[in-house]
Amino acid sequence: MEARLSVLTPSATVERKGISQTSLLALIIGVIIAVLVLPPAIILVVRSVAITSADATVGGFTLEHFARFIRNPELLHTLSNSLIFAVCSTIIGLLFGGSLAWLVERTNTRFKGLAYVTTIISMGTPYILYVSAWLFLLGRSGPFNDLYRQITGGFRPLFDPYSLGGMILIEGFLWSPLVFLLMSSTFRAANAEMEEAARMSGATVFRTIWTISIKMAKPSILALALFVFIRAIEAFEVPVLVGMPGKVNVLTTEVYQSIKETIPPDLGYASAYSVVLLAVVAVLLHFYGRLSRNAGRYSTVTGKGYRPRQFDLGGYRWIGDFLVLFNFCIVLLLPLLALLWLSLLPYMRAVSFAAIGNFSLHNYAVVLTSDYYRTLAMNTLTVGAVAATLGMILSFFVGWLSARRRPGGQILDQLATVPLVFPGVVMGVAFLMILLNVPLPIYGTIWALIIAYVVRYLPYGLRYTYTGVLQIHKELEEAAGASGATPLQALRRIIAPLLSPAIISGWLFIFLIATKELAVAVLLAGPSSQVVAVGMYDLWVNGQGGELAAFGLIWATIMALVASIFYFVAEKSGRGGLR
Amino acid sequence: MLKLEHLTKVYAALPSEYAGGIRDANIDLAPGTFFTLLGPSGCGKTTTLRCIAGLETPDTGRITVDGRPLFDSDRGISVPLHRRNIGMVFQSYAIWPHMSVFENVSFPMRVSKTQRYSTAEIAKAVDEALESVGLGGYAKRSATQLSGGQQQRVALARAIVHRPKLLLLDEPLSNLDAALREDMRTELKRLQRELGVTAVYVTHDQSEALAMSDTIAVIAKGRMMQVGSPRDIYFRPANEFVASFIGHTNILRGRIDGSAGTVALDGGGTLRCRTEGEVGPDVAISIRPEDIALAKKAAPANGDGMNVLPGVVTSASFLGNVVHYEIKAGSGSSTFRVEGEPAMPFDTGAEVVMSFRPEDTLAVPRS
Repeated sequence: MEARLSVLTPSATVERKGISQTSLLALIIGVIIAVLVLPPAIILVVRSVAITSADATVGGFTLEHFARFIRNPELLHTLSNSLIFAVCSTIIGLLFGGSLAWLVERTNTRFKGLAYVTTIISMGTPYILYVSAWLFLLGRSGPFNDLYRQITGGFRPLFDPYSLGGMILIEGFLWSPLVFLLMSSTFRAANAEMEEAARMSGATVFRTIWTISIKMAKPSILALALFVFIRAIEAFEVPVLVGMPGKVNVLTTEVYQSIKETIPPDLGYASAYSVVLLAVVAVLLHFYGRLSRNAGRYSTVTGKGYRPRQFDLGGYRWIGDFLVLFNFCIVLLLPLLALLWLSLLPYMRAVSFAAIGNFSLHNYAVVLTSDYYRTLAMNTLTVGAVAATLGMILSFFVGWLSARRRPGGQILDQLATVPLVFPGVVMGVAFLMILLNVPLPIYGTIWALIIAYVVRYLPYGLRYTYTGVLQIHKELEEAAGASGATPLQALRRIIAPLLSPAIISGWLFIFLIATKELAVAVLLAGPSSQVVAVGMYDLWVNGQGGELAAFGLIWATIMALVASIFYFVAEKSGRGGLR
Repeated sequence: MLKLEHLTKVYAALPSEYAGGIRDANIDLAPGTFFTLLGPSGCGKTTTLRCIAGLETPDTGRITVDGRPLFDSDRGISVPLHRRNIGMVFQSYAIWPHMSVFENVSFPMRVSKTQRYSTAEIAKAVDEALESVGLGGYAKRSATQLSGGQQQRVALARAIVHRPKLLLLDEPLSNLDAALREDMRTELKRLQRELGVTAVYVTHDQSEALAMSDTIAVIAKGRMMQVGSPRDIYFRPANEFVASFIGHTNILRGRIDGSAGTVALDGGGTLRCRTEGEVGPDVAISIRPEDIALAKKAAPANGDGMNVLPGVVTSASFLGNVVHYEIKAGSGSSTFRVEGEPAMPFDTGAEVVMSFRPEDTLAVPRS
């Protein structure tokens, strides 16, 4: 025991206070993020007050763009459309997804597995695919209106999806899976003893739900409602696919049209519009931040791994069963069947027995042999993977610096969160203007998309690494320091391995949403950098529903696989939701 | 060996308000000392330890280990923690769950900047460290397969594997169950002696501190109240706080009379007492429960010069070797705690006389 080892002689060097390794790291990461994040905001503001000359240089300043924005006779109409659309789709998404989550997590409803399958598959499926499937189902010659006409014998369809009502319905159902996922983790974390105490005090089931369950979940429900509302204000797919053909304009489509459907693109007007949209979202996000800080107030996570006792719905159980099955049909089964139907027919056709005779695998053959589709898929996978990797590398450092309250960490965190205020279209417009003005050959390449995605999804990646670092006991890191490891060594050998579940979840999450992204891509993708969502959009606009459906089904299968990996990794690392 | 001079690190909302931290701590330890920072939670003992480790940067003051300045606010010196060559055991043990026992213990040698070790040297040192904490043969285990006590030992092995001159221990026993804690106490002490390392130990458990330490610093509200040997601190507490924090005691308030050695109690009556050093006129009087003898009220006072107080038994709990009494003193409203002999029990409500020697009646400054 007393055998002496080589005793370390304390180094005689005396350290003066200077720039430390950590500060240097914070500085480097800070510069990178500032270069990525600030230009989009700056260019929008500058362009919104600039007179753009013919050669795309700034030739003076003016408030004309804002004046045109205010003078636009359609402005009030557009605003009210946006508002009604966002409010109503939030309500539908929240009511539907929320009650589903409660039924599945806290009651003895049957077929719970179906709710999860529906949700996981929906995570990987591009919205545009959903929207086109629903448009086919609900369209004038779709099966529902067909059935109605046959029953009534009239010519008038029951409803027209290309309307504000149709937009609301589709957007609402589009959001219900995410609401389901986020609310189910809230209900799962709720302490069942609170409800049991109410029951023991003599309250009925419904009174317990009303006075205890809902009241306790209220902070998180409110925060989630505002979150969905913001997303709906920023929504692009439904307004562009459903609203524009039906002449129902909202704020985002207004921006899109002034860039894409005006020649030459009206950059000043689009910028003015974008700045207004940015301001609105920033205000909403501010309130969201306050709400979600409160959301944890009532959370009484026990962490004992016991499953809360379930409510017995008794005679009303069939209502729960019906809702779960209804969700499964509307959000998964019917769209899939519609796509299958479309993919087997040479041209778009209403559902009838006569059409079955025309079934062929021609569309699949085209999709599987054409270079165009292969390029689409490869581009999308590359863009998604590279953007997710770069985004997570930055998130890793920022998450650590800010979770550990290192000098500069707070500022870095705020900088990296700035992109949250950018709706996809606005981000697209901003990067369009930047790339047209920098002398780098990026415009029209997949790098344009990659850079824009890294910026757009940085805040999401950051949430994963930030909460991940918070969950790693600080002493694990301090022990490395006390053992003689430098901060960077501690990061590499202790934090990185321990954080890997959060990093993998974040990577998969960014990958999944990046491969679905339409709003940014439709503005930035060049002829050689087309991605799946843009390709699908073109196919739909050109009426090539068959190829769209065949390609969509194959793509959705691949992405469902990625989504299920994501789901299980996220579950395992203790994060049920994806906020 | 370890020297702290005017070490200050304060967390405060207002200059006058204490919200954690340590003020003006001064220490000079001989090599091989087992030194304990003792105090209630939030008193600043952990802050002091973390300043020595380099996990916190002090506001002002100087920290020197073996003549090497680690921190000096005047000269702008602050050695980063990974260059301090200190071993530390954390409260949560901080065993890295993604590494094996061997990887955990060998980590300080593998990341060492001052010296490169060969694989054989590392293996030998890890073996010896594990052997010395009684975990020989555990090297290949995964860290997640260990019990709390074993994790504690791995943390200890990791802290001593590179032979630091200074070993810091942050409440290392607080997460163990009572029986294991007793074992680890003796073992820690034995290990520290064998290694000859200077240890700084943080705890809020006074019996732990009394049993293990060569020197104890009692800390309250960011101030070092008293630094001394366990005996010093128990028998010659510097003030009311130290007297009541270390062991059980009964505290009375009073004023020192003109004549030396007598105190007029605030509740009426006089006691003869002992004083240590300078005390003001307003004092607190400490009488340990084991120094008080009980007698029936009718019985005559046993011997001259004893302090005598009448009282009524308000509660009596039989604990086997002793009986714990709570006694309401006749004069004031103060309740006394007294340990009595089980052979001569008193019932609740019995009128008794408490008597104790003036030498055991210690007057200390109030705090």
